[in-house]
Amino acid sequence: MSDEKAQVEAARAAFINDFDRFAELNLDGRSLSDAEGILAAVNELKIRHTGKKSAMAATKKLIGKVPADERGEFGQIVQAAETEIVSTIAAVDEQLNEFISKAKIELERLDVTIPGRRPATGHLHPITIVRQKIEDIFVSMGYAIEDDREIETDYYNFEALNIPEGHPARESQDTFYTTTGLALRSQTSTVQIRAMERRGVPIRILAPGKVFRRDTPDMTHVPMFHQLEGLCVDKGITMAHLKGTVTEWLRRLFGEDTKTRFRPSYFPFTEPSAEFDFSCFKCHGTGKYENDRCRPCKGSGWIELGGSGMVHPNVLRAVNVDPTIYSGFAFGFGLDRMAALMYEIDDIRYLFENDVRFLEQFK
Amino acid sequence: MNISYNWLKNLIDIDLSAEDVASELTRVGLAVEGVHPHGDDFVLDIDLTSNRPDCLSHLGVAREIAAITGASVKAPAVSDEPEIPLPMVLAYDVVAINDPELCHRFTARVIKNVKIGPSPAWIVERLEAIGERSINNVADITNYVMHELGQPMHSFDNSMLVIADAEKPAAIGGIMGGLDSSITEATTNVLLEVAFFKRENIRQTSRKLGLTTEASYRFERGVDIDNLSRASDRAAELICEFAGGEMAEFIDVYPTKAEPRYAVSYDLPRAVERLTGLKVAGSECLRILNSLGISQSEEDPAAFTVPSWRYDISIEEDLVEEITRHTGYENIAEELPPAFGAGEYQDTEIRKRRLRRTLIDLGFNEAITYSFIDTKNDERFEPVPGLLDDNADEKFVTLQDSVIEGAVRMRPTLLAGVLDAAKLNFNQQHKDLKLFEIGKTFATKSGEDGLPTERELLSLVITGGDANAGRSMTQRELDFYDAKGAVEAALEAVGLSNLVFSGGDVGHLRSGQAATISSNDRVVGSIGRISEELAGDYKFKQPVYVAELDLQSLLHEETSPALYRSLPKYPAIVRDVSFLVNRTVTFDDIRASILSQGRELCRDVSFVDVYEGKGIEANERSLTIRLEYRSDERTLIETEVDAVHAE
Repeated sequence: MSDEKAQVEAARAAFINDFDRFAELNLDGRSLSDAEGILAAVNELKIRHTGKKSAMAATKKLIGKVPADERGEFGQIVQAAETEIVSTIAAVDEQLNEFISKAKIELERLDVTIPGRRPATGHLHPITIVRQKIEDIFVSMGYAIEDDREIETDYYNFEALNIPEGHPARESQDTFYTTTGLALRSQTSTVQIRAMERRGVPIRILAPGKVFRRDTPDMTHVPMFHQLEGLCVDKGITMAHLKGTVTEWLRRLFGEDTKTRFRPSYFPFTEPSAEFDFSCFKCHGTGKYENDRCRPCKGSGWIELGGSGMVHPNVLRAVNVDPTIYSGFAFGFGLDRMAALMYEIDDIRYLFENDVRFLEQFK
Repeated sequence: MNISYNWLKNLIDIDLSAEDVASELTRVGLAVEGVHPHGDDFVLDIDLTSNRPDCLSHLGVAREIAAITGASVKAPAVSDEPEIPLPMVLAYDVVAINDPELCHRFTARVIKNVKIGPSPAWIVERLEAIGERSINNVADITNYVMHELGQPMHSFDNSMLVIADAEKPAAIGGIMGGLDSSITEATTNVLLEVAFFKRENIRQTSRKLGLTTEASYRFERGVDIDNLSRASDRAAELICEFAGGEMAEFIDVYPTKAEPRYAVSYDLPRAVERLTGLKVAGSECLRILNSLGISQSEEDPAAFTVPSWRYDISIEEDLVEEITRHTGYENIAEELPPAFGAGEYQDTEIRKRRLRRTLIDLGFNEAITYSFIDTKNDERFEPVPGLLDDNADEKFVTLQDSVIEGAVRMRPTLLAGVLDAAKLNFNQQHKDLKLFEIGKTFATKSGEDGLPTERELLSLVITGGDANAGRSMTQRELDFYDAKGAVEAALEAVGLSNLVFSGGDVGHLRSGQAATISSNDRVVGSIGRISEELAGDYKFKQPVYVAELDLQSLLHEETSPALYRSLPKYPAIVRDVSFLVNRTVTFDDIRASILSQGRELCRDVSFVDVYEGKGIEANERSLTIRLEYRSDERTLIETEVDAVHAE
């Protein structure tokens, strides 16, 4: 059996000799390709020393040839030698694979802060954003959204709204006229008349739309802007309903703690008339934001928003509604001003310049 | 308007501080914009609504305070010296009311032996407090009385008035006096004119002359016709006292008597409750009205006499407002009206929202441009079909004037606006651009009602490179097909997927890169690269593509409902084919030609790629298409397909 043992020992020694250079493998500072080279060499060794044609494989065939009483012991010797070779290689193999895997991960490490890949999306105009928000609120409150003509007759722009000939509000210095004497509507109140003619009463509508006034553009004026007009006519409608409705939609837009304030005012198409303010959405009516004067309300805690009142009986009569049976409220305000407030836009001319650096700020 | 707190205190007892007066006045509708200290006085800056000319004086504001606090207004002292009437002959030399329609009442007072000089300090101070400059004692007194009692008045040099040029008016009644007859240091005899002119007339004259004065401002809003002689007396008395004059002749010509005015209410508390929900006792209603000078008629308890200074009260609702504002709007409850019904959007709004959203997702920013544009755009753009009325003499709607230079045309196209926006962005070095606008365009309409056509369009502009979000490098140059794709995607989002694009010339588009867009055999718009000429006008150096569609018509077209088709049971086989074709042959031609052969197995023809340029004749292009073969009965085998394909 000694020959056979010697053969096993020789195979083992040959392996140790070949493997020597990997015995104390230190991969510190080695590159991925170094490690892959070593792995290839180790795999080659594995084939050479454990493959079918290896010296170790040959020794297995000797097991049958040793005498039966020695066969068990010899078998164990062969097994031990093979296990030693396999496990030695496996250890290095594992070390290498771990190194390679780590190196690959390092190599493929991403900069996750680089922006995601997606098409550039655009932005709705701030006026559209605010308009849609408010329309949604009013639709949920049972209002129908309406709009109508932008070029109007004197009748719809003034007369039906109780603004008779010679009234200061009719001054052409405020209103654009066409060469044929038509007016660009100077308020969305025209839709009150058109809508009541179409729908009759009772009615609840919200009319957003463009209006035009002869203002030379500056930081707070533009000759074309947007208004939103609300109208509710029914039996038994009072100013309390006006206050409740205005307060409700402002709360839905700006939060439950929003308060409103109504001040007596004058509009030809309402009587009594009121202007309305709401508590500043930014400073919650305190006038201070982060220890500075709050910007949207200029430190007052209140934001002046629009005009309102009980629909003037002459307006109701103009659409054949009996003011002794029906009453109603109307309110209106500027969408552009609302957008300017919400986004703290300090120059409303930007709204119509369409500079994309401006437009892209709104969501 | 500036009101002096100390001056008010001469007219009414006030226990409130200036700040409290300010907040109380604001509460009842006289909006105090600011309270500014001035020496030992405070000046209240009141922003009056145009219906309250009666408050354009300290007396008027004092009346409101009376209604707030319950104190009474003390009339400024006026002597009860007997008036010396002018002899009638002389009177009509001085005062001739040619048109009693325009001048309802006219008073004139002669004050003799006046010595023109500086005003006493207290008058100078009062006037200064409210921002008025001192001129001389007589002018200052007339100004003082106007601010005190609200009655504009004018002092003339009586001797100069006589010799005044008959051709030249001595004054523009109610607006300003003439230079020839104005008070100078040499003046000794003063004629004090206090009159009432028709409001509308003053307004017209003032507008015509482009001249607004403190006097015209008050006259056109309405002064108190019953207050004329009192104001004249007050001024004359002050002149006598502080300019050493002697009261002389007085004349009061009052041809157009103001009719007493009434507002009728049968049940004030009920009217107040009906309109405001407030419960105000009848006695309180009367107290408020009385304190404002509105009294219940003794003969008819439903009639309320409107004082001569209030032009804004004529109906019950007006009385309700007076009672309500003095009761306090803050006392009105906040209630929601009873439930009504379901709300609704405008019929096209939901689809427009989808359309907007699709364009946003495709990278478009929404623009809003002015509805009035320059007339030079008339020839530049070809409006969408059907907008202009061929029978109208003037095609376009034009404004009488504009506040933006040249912009008098109501836009027949949105393109001028969006291209202006493109230019603005180019100037900001923003060259990769996708913009759209949805808005109305306008055109004259012939026919009876005469109101112009208003039509909502969708326009878009696309230029530069295709950008990814957050990445500075553009992927490739945008072209016609990007614009076309955007239009297709946007309209598909609103249920319109059978648009037909046909090559054809459009005024503002470059020939060969222009198409008309049709839906249901009707041309609804155009798309393409803007013409060289237009690009030159805008000084654009890069290709710019635009589209404009009649959105209003499109959104009223019927959409085809989605219908399920059973899924193919057997796989398809595709074959790609490249054709070298003359440029006049279109993809649509080839597709239609293949499909028209009616090969049962050939299910679809789709576009793969196009190539033109190097290696291909200038009048040709290489078009690669994909043919899809499929059977509903079996899995096709290659040879079968090859056979059909070969045909």
